[in-house]
Amino acid sequence: MVKVTGTLPQLTISGYQVSLEPLHENDIMQLRAWRNSEFVRHKMLSSDTITELQQRNWFSKIQNDPQQCHWVVRYKGAAIGTTNIKVPSDSSATSVSVAKALEPGLYIGEPTYQGNIIAFAPTLALYDYCFDYLNINTLQATVKADNRSALNYNEKLGYETVSRSDDGCWVTLCITKARYEEATTMIKRFLSR
Amino acid sequence: MTNQEKLTQAFCDALGIGPDQVKDDLQYNTIKEWDSTAHMVLISELENTFDVMLDTDDIIDMSSVAKAKEILAKYDVSF
Repeated sequence: MVKVTGTLPQLTISGYQVSLEPLHENDIMQLRAWRNSEFVRHKMLSSDTITELQQRNWFSKIQNDPQQCHWVVRYKGAAIGTTNIKVPSDSSATSVSVAKALEPGLYIGEPTYQGNIIAFAPTLALYDYCFDYLNINTLQATVKADNRSALNYNEKLGYETVSRSDDGCWVTLCITKARYEEATTMIKRFLSR
Repeated sequence: MTNQEKLTQAFCDALGIGPDQVKDDLQYNTIKEWDSTAHMVLISELENTFDVMLDTDDIIDMSSVAKAKEILAKYDVSF
């Protein structure tokens, strides 16, 4: 179970040895450095590099957007990545707090924690919050069809493929609370020690 | 059974691989059998076999068979 303090968008979620803290202006250049790294950018919807101006503009935009919320992931006090939730583009929900489906996003920027068990921790904290506090029905994700590591990662969380884009380049996955809880019992046990 | 034999058996049981594959230079995520889920099964197996409780940082750090021995040595398991 996670601990939640504050209210959206200034909300902190703690659990599974990490904390998700609201994104502040002094974090955004660290995020940009991670986002522009080879490891991260080729797994994103757009692999273009982000300029400093683009990053500042993006931050200004999300500050006033109730349809998305972003956090910095901290492990032992150090920032290691970022995570977010967004209202899907085909949803009529006006904010993340009333949506019944959400799209989560995550990347671990610090190489030490990419591809190991800690990479699951922010996701577990965020998903617990979405299912238990926001009471959503489903989480959905769109992943590049050739991003094998992301597909494996999502499969371990309980996601199921629901559709593919016409060109076969993208896969849409969904997860319910029941499937998430069933799939993550062991991971949660390890991260709750 | 020596600790080396116990370690080899734990890797075989957790990852579903043969004892001939359990060499010091075998590394995490370099074979399909040793992915992040299997890693957790492996940690459970090692903890049960050697009656230890590993710290999260040690779980992250256990990136090869050689590293597993090095970490278990910190918990007074000698090889």
